[in-house]
Amino acid sequence: MSNLTWLFIAFSVVWLALGLYLYSLGARQRALERRLEALKQSEQRHNL
Amino acid sequence: MEAASRSRLSLLGASAWAVIAGSLYLIFFVAREAAPEMGGQLQRIFYVHVPSAWVAYIGFAMVFVGSIAFLRTGQRRWDLLAHGAAEVGVVFCSLVLITGPIWAHPVWGTWWQWDARLTSTLVLWLTYVGYLLLRGLATDPSRAGKPAAVLGIVGFVNVPLVHFSVYWWRTLHPSGPTPANPTEASGLGGPELAAFFTALLGFSLLAAWLLGLRVRLGRMADEIDELETNQAVRVAG
Repeated sequence: MSNLTWLFIAFSVVWLALGLYLYSLGARQRALERRLEALKQSEQRHNL
Repeated sequence: MEAASRSRLSLLGASAWAVIAGSLYLIFFVAREAAPEMGGQLQRIFYVHVPSAWVAYIGFAMVFVGSIAFLRTGQRRWDLLAHGAAEVGVVFCSLVLITGPIWAHPVWGTWWQWDARLTSTLVLWLTYVGYLLLRGLATDPSRAGKPAAVLGIVGFVNVPLVHFSVYWWRTLHPSGPTPANPTEASGLGGPELAAFFTALLGFSLLAAWLLGLRVRLGRMADEIDELETNQAVRVAG
């Protein structure tokens, strides 16, 4: 493989890895927000 | 307060991506091709490899500082900072360990050499992966803070070892520019240094943004734990 191909692979891996990490942060945040919302609604129901 | 914090974090993220976009322009259209013995076009990997290493060092330094502060004060915010910084540091250290061999394979003719820089970097990565495993596998996350903090402090000893390994031992790994001698030690000229320092700034801002997002997740998880504990106490009562 040529040096340019290796360069393309390296940059692709970097941005793909950072993209996957960002996606994982987003997925964890959405799951936590759903759980938090459910807990807050349950608290409100209890307080009524 | 929360809205202001979110808006600051969004601004940080937008700044990071803008600087990174600028650095990509400089890397591919302004920085000149390196000498063939450094890989020619392939040497452009350096512009993401070194900033990733820098950001990983800073991340692990923050684990060190956060761990000391947590052990001294017991304040949860320091533990959250250390945990988040370890995760971000491991992400960038992984990029170092991936991009390095991609450069080395065509230039050195081998993916890996057990030399001082490469081996100490692998040990550093394994240390902080261990830190994250310790936290992730703990049955009671609140009790994992102190042992993790000790590991975070001890693990940092390896950072100066990694950095200075190219000066202290004979190694295949190229030595980078030093503040006292930015051009001669590295063979970089003005356009290359502009690309390098812009990428360094972009990666630093990106890491700060990711750390902010990660710490926010930790706070949300704490809030959930607190609500769940309150509900469990109420049910038991």
